[in-house]
Amino acid sequence: MISHRDRNAQRISALDERAEALHLKRGMGIADARAMHPSIDVVEADPQADRRLLEGLADWCDRYTPLVAIDGIDGLFLDVTGCTHLFGGERAMLDDILSRFFHQGFGVRAGLAATPGAAWAAARFSGDHIVRSGEEEALLSPLPLAALRIEPDIRASLESVGLRTAGAVMAAPRAPLARRFGATLLLRLDQALGRLDEAVSPRLPVAPLSVERHLAEPIMLTDDIERLVSLLATTLKADLERRGEGARRLALLLFRVDGAVSRIAVGTSRPLREPLLIQKLFHERLAALEQDIDAGYGFDLVRLCVLSAAAFDMQQADLSGETDDCDADIALFADRIRARLGDGAVLRPVTVESHLPERAVATVPFSEVPQRTSPPRKPVRNPPMTIYPPATIYPPERPIRLFRSPEPIEVPATEMPEGPPMNFRWRRALYRVARAEGPERIAPEWWRGQGGEDAPTRDYFRIEDSDGRRYWLYRQGLYGASQASPRWFMHGVFA
Amino acid sequence: MAMTAVARETVFALRRQIAKIEGTLLERLQAPAGAAPAGLPPDEDARDLTIVRRGLAVAPPDAFLRTGAEPLDAALGGGLPKAALSEIHGAETRDAGAVTGFALSLVSLILKRQQPRLPILWIGTSEIFREAGFPYARGLQTSFGIEPGELLFSEAPRLVDALWVAEEAARMTALSAVILEIRGSPQRLDLTATRRLHARAQAAGRPVFLLRQAGEAEPTAAPVRLIVSTAPSASRATIAGPLAGSIGRPAFTVGIGKSRTALPGQFTLEWNPDDHVFEQRRAGEAKDPVPVVPASRRRKDPAPASGAVLAFAAVGSPAAISPTARDQPSRPQRPAHIGPRRAG
Repeated sequence: MISHRDRNAQRISALDERAEALHLKRGMGIADARAMHPSIDVVEADPQADRRLLEGLADWCDRYTPLVAIDGIDGLFLDVTGCTHLFGGERAMLDDILSRFFHQGFGVRAGLAATPGAAWAAARFSGDHIVRSGEEEALLSPLPLAALRIEPDIRASLESVGLRTAGAVMAAPRAPLARRFGATLLLRLDQALGRLDEAVSPRLPVAPLSVERHLAEPIMLTDDIERLVSLLATTLKADLERRGEGARRLALLLFRVDGAVSRIAVGTSRPLREPLLIQKLFHERLAALEQDIDAGYGFDLVRLCVLSAAAFDMQQADLSGETDDCDADIALFADRIRARLGDGAVLRPVTVESHLPERAVATVPFSEVPQRTSPPRKPVRNPPMTIYPPATIYPPERPIRLFRSPEPIEVPATEMPEGPPMNFRWRRALYRVARAEGPERIAPEWWRGQGGEDAPTRDYFRIEDSDGRRYWLYRQGLYGASQASPRWFMHGVFA
Repeated sequence: MAMTAVARETVFALRRQIAKIEGTLLERLQAPAGAAPAGLPPDEDARDLTIVRRGLAVAPPDAFLRTGAEPLDAALGGGLPKAALSEIHGAETRDAGAVTGFALSLVSLILKRQQPRLPILWIGTSEIFREAGFPYARGLQTSFGIEPGELLFSEAPRLVDALWVAEEAARMTALSAVILEIRGSPQRLDLTATRRLHARAQAAGRPVFLLRQAGEAEPTAAPVRLIVSTAPSASRATIAGPLAGSIGRPAFTVGIGKSRTALPGQFTLEWNPDDHVFEQRRAGEAKDPVPVVPASRRRKDPAPASGAVLAFAAVGSPAAISPTARDQPSRPQRPAHIGPRRAG
């Protein structure tokens, strides 16, 4: 028996058959139940765990249809439109669902109908029932008002006027019902009877393309999975070719015999449809996830989905059938690294228009760089008026390595308050400055609003120490400008 | 010689094949002076003649990356092998600037001779990027002429991952060079790991630079190990002479730690960030004069010369690249059709 706290009282939220046999009910106080039967075993409810379990089941139900929605705390909607023939008809499908759930140890009630409302009522009130299209009214009429999915207070007020079954509500005139009990009641009624459409919103976006294979004998080995991926990818290639597309994101779904579902996704930098390359990507991903995937008793259904696709540009090959495309090699290489080590494993620097050294270069993951390297040129309106920068302006000297966060250094003395240090201590070692160049003053970007206009400026110095190492130091702030004396930082290393 | 020229060719071709199969470093000797056919400059005979030592055939000269500093190239027997793993060591982590700078100047030399320019991949563990700083694309652009679009970085959380990425990258021909940066002397970076990298680099024909920051000299499969440390830079050169107290071009002290041909030695090189070439610094010699015409960084066309425009000494000679006052032809040599010297 499971209890939960509701308005300052422990109440029964769920109970098993033996507890029901003792005439205990849902919603009853734990104190009352204990008074009746002192020996009952009470467990605190864990709604999060229930939710996780339900989501796991929803994942598993993905094998029947991609449109699975969670209904409340204890129900699932499966939109099986167009899927039933794959399982040998409605009856066979329902039996398959029920038997598989039963073997996993769940007690399940299912209903199948043309409308979500009727299916809901069939599942909860009549049990394992297939409602033919047009029979919804006959199904609902004898059922209590709760089968209409309406709020408890509307139900109570309906019952107080003597309308105790759905059939009675249906027979009543609509206008007074709407005026007295609100539009929700009629909306639910119409939805259940199929007069209004009701959309089931699926939990996951539906993949535009997916191929799957049911296995008579569950597979457990990674090699087998990879071989299967290559077979599925071969099937997928024909579909992608027909659409003129290549996959940008792929997911592999492994359905375990006992209901757990593993979802493995890989991304590609450019549209891909070659089965061998897809298999390579999943090979790296599976190698990285080796510990995390528990094959258990094996997987009996393997599905390969294309989560997003993009237009595939065909490459012109020369007469020997070779295409000279180095970028494709690098893209595939980067994809494999990313599949194994995560999205940030391959980075590419992108220059940013900023004078702050740390902002002037952004490193972005490889895939996020647009393939076009140079932006489209603006048309030049007045070519004679174009002003070129003089060729003698050289870019400022910049270090070849930059610390991710500037490291504070101790500077005991400077010759002049504005000048470079004479020696400094960095990482507990003392450095004597032999030569220095600078300062180069870099002001913060006041338009970014961090610190405003009063933010301290940085004076950068190129420093060569007595051993010939060259560093980039800066002083944050000015001597005498404020109470706190300026601090010194090590920001980069020169060649 | 009893051997005919054809037989000699066959033998050398076979030896070259054997060397390729064995994957050994190809070695060369200085050509004996008498062997060079008369009339050819010494550069060309090196290309044509195959010189054999200890039973190994010699690869064509483009198997080596010439640094451009003659004594170092000569000591290494032609330069660094291009299709191989090369180790570049730094004694301490704070020498990272010099080690990185030297490796990048080698990469810059490779990229300069490559058409089209392929990207380079820089692999490092998170530790080294934290300790020694992350490569800064703006600095690489100004000092080494490596555009940000030609750079790829891979940051691996663990050494195993970094080695895996490096092995996968070393077999790619779509990269011009792979830089693997490791700090310290980890157990995993043993002879086997370096041999795997070396074999892949050989197969792909691309260089792999293994930067070992604060690492000890350990057994390695790399044919060459260089030990790089910083050298105080020369002052900035101006028309009026060296500018006191300024920090000029980057300079490195390069020692040869392992090489099958070279004797141990120390070389001080200076990197010219404008022309992207190495220059050997010799002690006691006066600083070479400043080029009258600076190389333009921004545009393809050189800046207009300020002063007299003169004919070059000879096509292909170093003087043609940097015309200096010393290398200009003396008056009688000047071709007559140029006409009288234009006043500056």
